[in-house]
Amino acid sequence: MTDYLIDSPITLAKHIGQSRDLWQLKENDSGERGWQLSAPEIFSALRSPDAMESAKQFFFAPRENIFQFDGNQFRESLPAPEPFALVGVSSCDLTAIAYQDHFFRDDPHYQARRQQALLVGYECLSPCAKGFCPSVDAGPGAREGSADLVLHQLQEDQWLLRVLTDTGARALEGLVLEKAGDAAQTQRHNQIEACIEAFPDDSHIHAGIEAINSNSVAQETWDAAGIQCLSCSGCTTLCPTCSCYGTSDHTTGDTMIRERFWDSCLYDGFQREASQNNPAGAAGDRVRRFWYHKFSREFFQASDNPGPADRYGCVGCGRCEVTCPGVIGVHSMMKKITE
Amino acid sequence: MQSLVPEPIEILSGVEDGEAARHFRFRFCGQSDSNLKKWQSTRPGQFFMLSVPGAGEAPFTFTTLPNAQGEFSALVRRMGQVTGALFERKPGYTLGARGPFGHGWPVTDGDTEKVLTEKALIVGGGCGLAPLVSLVEHLINSGTPPVALVYGARTAAAQVLNPERKRWQSQLPLFDIVQQGNGCQYRGTPLDLLPEVLNQVGEPERVFLCGPEIMMHTVAEFFVQRGLPASAIWMSIERRMHCATGTCGHCYLEHQYVCKDGPTYRWDKLAPLLARSSGAGALADFHC
Ligand SMILES: Cc1cc2nc3c(=O)[nH]c(=O)nc-3n(C[C@H](O)[C@H](O)[C@H](O)COP(=O)(O)OP(=O)(O)OC[C@H]3O[C@@H](n4cnc5c(N)ncnc54)[C@H](O)[C@@H]3O)c2cc1C
Ligand code: SF4
Ligand code: SF4
Ligand code: FES
Repeated sequence: MTDYLIDSPITLAKHIGQSRDLWQLKENDSGERGWQLSAPEIFSALRSPDAMESAKQFFFAPRENIFQFDGNQFRESLPAPEPFALVGVSSCDLTAIAYQDHFFRDDPHYQARRQQALLVGYECLSPCAKGFCPSVDAGPGAREGSADLVLHQLQEDQWLLRVLTDTGARALEGLVLEKAGDAAQTQRHNQIEACIEAFPDDSHIHAGIEAINSNSVAQETWDAAGIQCLSCSGCTTLCPTCSCYGTSDHTTGDTMIRERFWDSCLYDGFQREASQNNPAGAAGDRVRRFWYHKFSREFFQASDNPGPADRYGCVGCGRCEVTCPGVIGVHSMMKKITE
Repeated sequence: MQSLVPEPIEILSGVEDGEAARHFRFRFCGQSDSNLKKWQSTRPGQFFMLSVPGAGEAPFTFTTLPNAQGEFSALVRRMGQVTGALFERKPGYTLGARGPFGHGWPVTDGDTEKVLTEKALIVGGGCGLAPLVSLVEHLINSGTPPVALVYGARTAAAQVLNPERKRWQSQLPLFDIVQQGNGCQYRGTPLDLLPEVLNQVGEPERVFLCGPEIMMHTVAEFFVQRGLPASAIWMSIERRMHCATGTCGHCYLEHQYVCKDGPTYRWDKLAPLLARSSGAGALADFHC
């Protein structure tokens, strides 16, 4: 596919915004960065996508209706969003979306939202605060097929616009752009290499992954972390690959709805059964399983044809460390289990 | 796509059968032929998600598999929200069902569909007899009834599936045992009774288990000690479930999801998975 040069992401946004709702990461009134609807007229300059909020809520909704029941029939409540574009998604988050696309491949609610989305990636030029995307093959360069379009800044007023999918190519129809030459590709390559070089030492991550895969972490280490974990669900909420949910029924008048909502495997009651039997009743076991889900190669599909599931469940965004420093965050935990 | 939306079923009847347990008969309402075909492909040991609108959804095993009229049965023990609400519903009431889900018992050779004729011994505990009913019936109907069925319960009053066990009396050796009280020939747990059972019927070639997990583990280990390969021992395990499509996460067992990879497991595959967690999470004793 052809790649192009573009003067500014705003030019791209103005074009895409003619046919889709535009979302970008912006500060809200209290200074927190998150995804905001941003019409073409108010679309602002893109900066590093470093934000606590990932893109997962666009596809796997924090709370949504599954069906309605009127006493006789069950009617599916499928979401029907207008076409939309997420502009400026980090490579780690793009990798997480690809991972969830596979996990929820048969989920009609996830797919109904996902099919309406155009993903425009943003490649980081320097490491974010706690990120380690290169260690888990998730960034800082966008992975093949993980976005429709990818923006990479070359100069103040020049960006490389990479086209990764047919959907991306179609989104550019009608926009006259200069084709990118080898020089732009080389510059991108060098900038990504420089960004990778700038990441701090990640030996504890690799050692932690090996310790988890060889099952050599002492139970006491998990138990100690379990005691410290408050089961607040901060990490599971922020983690772009966490996917657990619960369900509950609500009745108003003659109509009943079933909702599903984000749940957390770190909650004490996550596996508790009606008999009070609780296979995951020990906090240390829950913490172990959480990290096992992120780093065990047993989750890989091990097929001849590696797909998006043949990777670690962690994309190295570092959000869990930012929200839970010293306890269950990835750097703290990987250091503890390899000490 | 795997829908989380149930298909309507109605309650045909509910018969008391053991302490706080009721044997329900259900029927699909207005199902298309192709949909009924899907349900008729159900294998012994598979399960469905039962929706009681307003109360929620929970997994139950089929005691009789869906027939040509779309009728099927399940034995339900009253435990909490969903089962509590189910017990309040009268025949004729509309509920929902999704399924069939999971891997059932290995009753046929996967390659040839030939019925396996090994000498099968079955051990059930409490309501854990429910997933074994369709297996027992299948083996009887195929002309290779189990060499014995050992059924343990807390008390005689807690024994379930009484009509079925009565019927089986003339078809296979039955051994009932209760932990407390009278009204039964044997007192203790199935494990206590097994040496005597084996004296009478000989060593089995295949063992099927369902009941409290701790009971299944100890019985499996008992047979392994006697030289039966762990690969000849099968059990159906319980985990909390909210989707049965492998996405909600609740039923995890290491890297597996019991709703998809189970609920029946071969002991040589299951034991290593269970060994990884600390075991500090309690494994219930007979809850019924
Ligand atoms: C594969 C399978 C087959 C089963 N077959 C039978 C059966 O034939 N007969 C029978 O009486 N019971 C069976 N059970 C157990 C039955 O599902 C629980 O007793 C039931 O979920 C209790 O629901 P509740 O809403 O009344 O209890 P609550 O404690 O109010 O449970 C709330 C919710 O938690 C979940 N949950 C709680 N306990 C369990 C559990 N043990 N297993 C799965 N989900 C749970 C359910 O989603 C339930 O709706 C089976 C369980 C599994 C996993
Ligand atoms: S982890 Fe990598 S891709 Fe993600 S925000 Fe940080 S530097 Fe960018
Ligand atoms: S485990 Fe932590 S670092 Fe890894 S993807 Fe989740 S939040 Fe990011
Ligand atoms: S019940 Fe939801 S993953 Fe198994």
